[in-house]
Amino acid sequence: MTSGLDVLVQAFTSGNLILAQGLGLYAFTRYTQDVKKAAKSGGITLAAMLLGGFILWVADGLAFNTETAELGLYLLVATCSALIVRMFLPAKFSVRDGLFDSALVGLILLLGRDGVSGVNVLWASLAAGLGYLITLVVMATLRERLELAPIPKALRGVPIILITAGLLAIAIMGFRF
Amino acid sequence: MKIFWENLFRKNPVFVLFLGFVPAVAVASSAEAGLALGLITGVILVLTTILNYFLSLLLPKNARTVGQLVVLIILTVSAHRILLTLNPQVVGTLNIFLPLLVANSLVIYSLQENDLPFGAVILDSIGKSLGFLLALVLIGIVREFFGYGTFFGTKLFTSDLPPLALASTVPGGMIIVGLLLALVNMVRGQGGELHD
Repeated sequence: MTSGLDVLVQAFTSGNLILAQGLGLYAFTRYTQDVKKAAKSGGITLAAMLLGGFILWVADGLAFNTETAELGLYLLVATCSALIVRMFLPAKFSVRDGLFDSALVGLILLLGRDGVSGVNVLWASLAAGLGYLITLVVMATLRERLELAPIPKALRGVPIILITAGLLAIAIMGFRF
Repeated sequence: MKIFWENLFRKNPVFVLFLGFVPAVAVASSAEAGLALGLITGVILVLTTILNYFLSLLLPKNARTVGQLVVLIILTVSAHRILLTLNPQVVGTLNIFLPLLVANSLVIYSLQENDLPFGAVILDSIGKSLGFLLALVLIGIVREFFGYGTFFGTKLFTSDLPPLALASTVPGGMIIVGLLLALVNMVRGQGGELHD
């Protein structure tokens, strides 16, 4: 990762949380029925990712002597960011409704594993969140088209979403940053 | 026992409830990886369900979610620590997907409150765990066969080239899981639409 632009482009392509890492598939299959719902879900997760990145950046100076303690910190950061963002959402929205998503926890774990530090954590979180949001919106747009397509009964719903996601993922595999 | 068998087949977490896709797509590229993650998830799911049952009796409603998540984190970190001592190779293979159990949609889904008695809650979680394990192993076997040309690590073809190397990658995993879901839907005579 050499510059902010590199990080951003990587988050959309070869580092895409959903299509390249296989994370966030719960939201991907459940919150992409329409563009509005996808944008809302992606926006909330983006906010949680940014907050998680910020907490991680602040906690950067903390030194842990064991891998397990470090892991506990990452999981707590992800949980806290989900719970804090939840406080600003309507009461009917539960943490279980896709906010405490594998994309959020996975991002924090990936940032820790890859040793991303300093202000780069914030850049990487923003880029990953934007990549996640755009992927959800793209899939929602595709699903609106798929609704009108003559698809065999057995393939309707989740199977065709996953197959379409697989083909999208193959397309972005061509990019290398 | 009905609840147990239902979760194993008729309400299989992966093939029918469409939960736990991340491990199925990102981890289960071989039968062994699917078996390992399925077993660990099963143990964590059963323990979480038992502790969650008692937490729901002790904690007020507005503090339950935080309590449940903290218990889940403690169990996951403990599992990571134990596995690191017993079998570091598994920890290396599963990589971030072992701690990611915290956000596993099947485990999160199982935290939802229900009115079942304690015995039924345990049977329900054991059924879900075995159903999840069964699905991950099946997906792992199919992906390993196409992606590496092996069955539980045993070579099946004389050629070094696998039948479909893409099967072992995330995009290949999405396509294969999608096709397996369609196959299950065809057998059940249903579509794969999501119902809340």
